[in-house]
Amino acid sequence: MYQLIAMYATVFFVFLLALAFAFVYGESKRSGEYSAIQKKGYKIRKFYFLGLIAIMAFASVMTLGRLPYDSNQAEAEGFSETKVVKVTGIQYAWEMSEERFKVGDQVQFDVTSSDVTHGFGLYNEKMELVAQTQAMPEYTNTVFYTFIEPGTYQILCLEYCSTGHHVMVKEIVVESEGGASDE
Amino acid sequence: MNEVIHPLARKAVIWHLAVTALVLILMMIFGVIMLMNQGGMISITPQWFYKIMTAHGTGMVGIAALGGTAILWYFLSKYVKLNPVILIANFVLFLTGVTMVLIAVFVFDFSDGWTFLYPLPAQSAKLYGAAGAEFFLSGMLILGMGFLLLYMYLAARLTAVYGGLGKALGWDIIFRGKKGYGPPAAVVATAMVIITNSTALLAGATVLTASLVNIINPAITIDPLLAKHLTYVFGHIFANCTIYMAVIAVYEVLSEYTKRPWKANKVFLIAWNCSTLFTLMIYTHHLLMDFAVPKWMLIIGQVFSYANGLPVMVVTAYGAMMIVYRSRMKWDFASSLFFLSMFGWVAGAIPAIIDATIVVNHVMHNTKWVPGHFHTYMGMGVVAMIIGFMYYFNKTEGNQRHRGIDTFTIALYFAFFTGLVGSFLYAGGISAPRRWAEHLPQWVLSDQVGAVSGIFIVLAAIIFTARFFAGLRNVHTKVPYNKNSAAG
Repeated sequence: MYQLIAMYATVFFVFLLALAFAFVYGESKRSGEYSAIQKKGYKIRKFYFLGLIAIMAFASVMTLGRLPYDSNQAEAEGFSETKVVKVTGIQYAWEMSEERFKVGDQVQFDVTSSDVTHGFGLYNEKMELVAQTQAMPEYTNTVFYTFIEPGTYQILCLEYCSTGHHVMVKEIVVESEGGASDE
Repeated sequence: MNEVIHPLARKAVIWHLAVTALVLILMMIFGVIMLMNQGGMISITPQWFYKIMTAHGTGMVGIAALGGTAILWYFLSKYVKLNPVILIANFVLFLTGVTMVLIAVFVFDFSDGWTFLYPLPAQSAKLYGAAGAEFFLSGMLILGMGFLLLYMYLAARLTAVYGGLGKALGWDIIFRGKKGYGPPAAVVATAMVIITNSTALLAGATVLTASLVNIINPAITIDPLLAKHLTYVFGHIFANCTIYMAVIAVYEVLSEYTKRPWKANKVFLIAWNCSTLFTLMIYTHHLLMDFAVPKWMLIIGQVFSYANGLPVMVVTAYGAMMIVYRSRMKWDFASSLFFLSMFGWVAGAIPAIIDATIVVNHVMHNTKWVPGHFHTYMGMGVVAMIIGFMYYFNKTEGNQRHRGIDTFTIALYFAFFTGLVGSFLYAGGISAPRRWAEHLPQWVLSDQVGAVSGIFIVLAAIIFTARFFAGLRNVHTKVPYNKNSAAG
């Protein structure tokens, strides 16, 4: 969902920007008194500034309450059966304490690394990135994810970790509540 | 105000621009090779891919800084008498550092990326030998020392002429109610870059030294998260400062072309002070997926990354549009590129700001969305400013004139750069990871679009460079000389 919002928002705002630059380019062929242009321009700028502040404030209010650090954690704490899975990145593999899950499983991935920094990127069956955190040596980053669809998920390394970076992939299976995955 | 650039410095500016132009083409070719490999159009080994990736990242940031420095020095020389020896010393140290980086990559197979994330270089040193990592880290250290020397000298000169960096940033107008305008934009921008980039370089020197010591004696370690903070303080600020140096040309040249003043009024000064503060604060948006970092630091990363867009959107780019509006300005190579560069800067800031939103970053960090936004403001912003300055330099110091091929090349460059960054952003939107030597079939089409766009961008860059070198033949390098007006 956020990927789509990001793409549409970028296209929309860049289009507006291009229109503004095209308009100024068109108007550049005419002449005008600069002090009058400045006076009017500064007036418009106040509204433009306030508009940007409003957009940024709206985006902050809408998103800062949904941080992956704590909102999922709080949600997870409401479930007694949260699965805790230990994940360790090592050039070029993922070691996991558990690799099979069921739809509805609320999983707490405790992610670390035994050598260099890796990136724990969880992809669903459609190869959409659904959650990530960094796998750091000497640190454990905890990321929560609730599996709502069955299928074969993949964990891709998302932090460059040397020449085998792109082969650092692990498949995990999420079975439907009945037992088997939809494959 | 009426200083004249020292003839030796003018020559040094030419050297800077010449190296920038040539390395730019080489690095662009490296970029195309990577995209062609990801797109299945050619096949190179993963080790070569990552070696090329390391050279591409280091080289591009390096030449953006080199070209930006040439612009800064050239225009600051109008207001402050500068000793060209410092510029040349930086140039020599830069070339020394770059040579060591190239030896590290292409002789000793160093391929740990330009961000050399600790403890990766030490780990690679164990597997492939220490020479590559040692050459790379030492080369970066020498390169950084050159820039630090340059900034220390510039700080001393601004202090001597303007009474300190605070005054150069207009603090007496902002805080003490002094009437009138602040120092010229070139001085304000230089003060900002001195403060932020010196901080970046000191952080970089610390983590580079720590990494080197760790390779030599593995018993001496540094906390990996602290090292990561230092790396991104360095990398984020250093890369950002390239645009804050290069934008000086936009202020100077658009003002000259439109024959309208672009003075540092109070809002302008507040904007640059905000940029100074925010640029120092927002590197944490690189650590949004490091959940071990205190939450307040990460929220700062989001909120102040938003805020850091305001100075450019509300003051600099808006100011450029205002100064051009109904100005009857002559559109030529320089004015076109400077105007378009402001579009490129803001257009790149939009997806960057979106990516700094933590919930978005959670599903887009380290996808190709990231190179998508930074290629926009580096390629269509910084590089456009540097190329625009090359033409402006040849025009005012020599007699270069705008031709039809220049209009064609600018259109070619911007059209295909839009294709390139569009392919990156789309790939990020469908979750294609960045820095992967090989891609899955569903990501390949975007790589191919990027590669084809890249080929035409290289073509445009070759024409720009040929035009620059041809124009250099008529540049005066001796005193006395007559500087031509650019306004036409």
